[in-house]
Amino acid sequence: MFESVDRVISDLEKQGYVCDKRIATVVFLAQQLGKPVLIEGPAGVGKTELAKVVATALDRELIRLQCYEGLDEAKALYEWEYSKQLLYTQLLKDQVSATMEGAQSLTEAAQRVADEDSVFFSERFVVPRPLMQAITSDNPVLLLIDEVDKSDPEFEAFLLEVLSDFQVTVPELGTIKAKQTPIVMLTSNDAREMSDALKRRCLHLWIDYPSQELEIKILDQKVPEIDKRLAQDLVSLMHSIRELDLKKVPSISETLDWARSLLALNASDLDESMVTDTLNVILKYEGDINKAQKELSKLLQQKAAEAAAAGPQAVEAPAEAPKKKGVLH
Amino acid sequence: MQEKVVEFTNLLRKSGIRVSVAEGINAFEALDELSIDDRELFKDALRSTMVKRGDEIPAFDQLFDLYWSGFYDSLRDAFGEANAQMAAMDIDIDELMKALAEAIEQMDGDVDLSELAQALLTQDLSALENMIRDAADQAGTGNIENMLQVGFFSRRTTEGMGMEGAGQELEQLIQQLEEGGMSPEDAQALRDMLGAMQEGLRKVVRNFTERELQTQNHDYMEKFRREMLTEKSFYHLTEEEIARMREVVHRLAQRIKNILSIRRKRQKRGKLDIHSTLRRNMAMGGVPFNVIYKHRRKDRPKLVILCDVSSSVANVSRFMLQFMYSLQEAFNRIRCFVFVSDLGEVTPLFKDADVNSAIENALDGGDVINVYTRSNFGLAFHIFWRDYLAAIDKKTTVLILGDARNNYNDDKAWCLREIHNKAKNVVWLNPESPSAWGFGDSVMNRYLPYTDIAEECRNLRQLAKVVDSIVL
Repeated sequence: MFESVDRVISDLEKQGYVCDKRIATVVFLAQQLGKPVLIEGPAGVGKTELAKVVATALDRELIRLQCYEGLDEAKALYEWEYSKQLLYTQLLKDQVSATMEGAQSLTEAAQRVADEDSVFFSERFVVPRPLMQAITSDNPVLLLIDEVDKSDPEFEAFLLEVLSDFQVTVPELGTIKAKQTPIVMLTSNDAREMSDALKRRCLHLWIDYPSQELEIKILDQKVPEIDKRLAQDLVSLMHSIRELDLKKVPSISETLDWARSLLALNASDLDESMVTDTLNVILKYEGDINKAQKELSKLLQQKAAEAAAAGPQAVEAPAEAPKKKGVLH
Repeated sequence: MQEKVVEFTNLLRKSGIRVSVAEGINAFEALDELSIDDRELFKDALRSTMVKRGDEIPAFDQLFDLYWSGFYDSLRDAFGEANAQMAAMDIDIDELMKALAEAIEQMDGDVDLSELAQALLTQDLSALENMIRDAADQAGTGNIENMLQVGFFSRRTTEGMGMEGAGQELEQLIQQLEEGGMSPEDAQALRDMLGAMQEGLRKVVRNFTERELQTQNHDYMEKFRREMLTEKSFYHLTEEEIARMREVVHRLAQRIKNILSIRRKRQKRGKLDIHSTLRRNMAMGGVPFNVIYKHRRKDRPKLVILCDVSSSVANVSRFMLQFMYSLQEAFNRIRCFVFVSDLGEVTPLFKDADVNSAIENALDGGDVINVYTRSNFGLAFHIFWRDYLAAIDKKTTVLILGDARNNYNDDKAWCLREIHNKAKNVVWLNPESPSAWGFGDSVMNRYLPYTDIAEECRNLRQLAKVVDSIVL
């Protein structure tokens, strides 16, 4: 249990997830109110990650349901284990005929089979899928419904029962209520607008690209080896890249990838050639790379000019850089 | 407080953010869990419970700031200023306040101070805030309509708070204190300070009134803007609107893609295939362990788009082209053509260039046609019939965008008939209203028999409607 919003922040940070107060507030409310959270935002800002760390921080089991086109009840909730049912009927042939023995008419025989059919439609033959698992679990769990926007609208409607009452209805077994209220998190990339009914039942959390300070903090947490100044340059550059009109805007995961690649290359400075060489780590489209390259060379020159004007401290830095390069070669 | 939250909810609704009653209740539940002293927490709690759409967040932020913010802060700032003035004059405020409190205690009962005067003396900001809000309610500040009324309503609010009376009471109090042995310097300092505070309060009231005006206007403006964009004709759009429109069009195309993919998926789930099931389960002695389903043939829609890019419909074509471009990103079986009197294919152009240059290029004819001629639909259809009829099969939907103003040329409606015979659907989107079809040089009525759907399409709302009818 999180006791307060500040506790959420510190507990998540222990798990290596840096978040701001806004995220923490919603997580806290979700726990207190027992409401599902719909997390939206651009790709790669840590929506799924949030669910994972909350599960670890609360020491709950994480049950994940990955949504995709055509996902249906059988895959999400439960399925009758057809082969097993068939196998049992085959094996129990003798018993079946024994029950049927002495039946006077077809109707009576059918009646006898019908009396026994609950054997074959019992929990023994149910394969629980993630939703069912989350509801029937004895321990409190965290249910992550990932990329819910990829699912069909019908599936969304079907989710409503689970989200509002934490119960599911299986025609043959009746309604199953959750033993422990799970924390439910849904993530969406906004590929499709979710229905109002679903949204109404959820708390809404919009995770956007982080602010510069927050991103530096994240970088520090995830890639601790990186030089402070380099991290700062990197993040500020990243922010100006996000301003550009790109097909796929790089997100936090790309920042981390970039930082790691720069580390691997032993780069100590973000100069133009270094940026050009490593740009394909963060941008995934040819057109984007070309566009960014143009803008970035302008930006870097501007920055260099600023640095030169800033005074002796800044002048020292470039003087250092060639030396290190010399060691490398 | 509750009332304020409900009022804020109404404000959100007025500006087009849908907040259900259940969501309003959720907001209260959330506030119960949190301390509302923390502004950020308060804001986050309201947002996460009431605003469920990413694109509504900016509007929420703006409204929140207008409605909640600054008020308490500006009050504090105003008082801080008064205090700072005192400090600049080398007067210890705490000392002064202490003396004042003692003096009042000594006199106990002799002075009967109004609520406002007391709040001023103790600098009780939240009490003052409540008083201002109440007085503003009484004065009807919520009905403010324009800038000229700001003075009127702020005056009424301050009057409602009893500012005059409080000023006199305070003056009396100071006089009594003086008589009671306070040094004249101290008394003067006190007077200055209380005066500054009252002045600050007046300013705050005025700010409050101005903000109220802004909130009222915000509702109106925001709603207006939103309605405008979907209703406004493509013919009269400003630069900024074109930019905003682009996003909307893109989303529309995205939606079509989603709908189509879902429909395809649904068709894939077929019936039980008894033949294959039996065959597959021979090894199990004919007991059907593995069940095979028939897969229905996937219906992959093909799209052929013919877009008029003549200058008479230039603005409309811009959107149609953008729509085409977005569609092409979503489908791979799509061919795009532009025409004025010649007709040329721009599919490869759309594939390679980015959206803006592709559109500009296509409007210039895209190196395939000459745009500086007069529209000739007949000739364009004839060329299509002659050169590209093979692009059409019985799964193809042909989408034609144009005003059918043929400049009295031969309409060659038989070409469209041929196209119609081969295609699954012919959809015509015309930026002119149906009442104008067939008048003047419009030959729309000649083409009408060979279209399955012909719709007026002059703004985004109509475009969305047509798109729905095509894909669903």
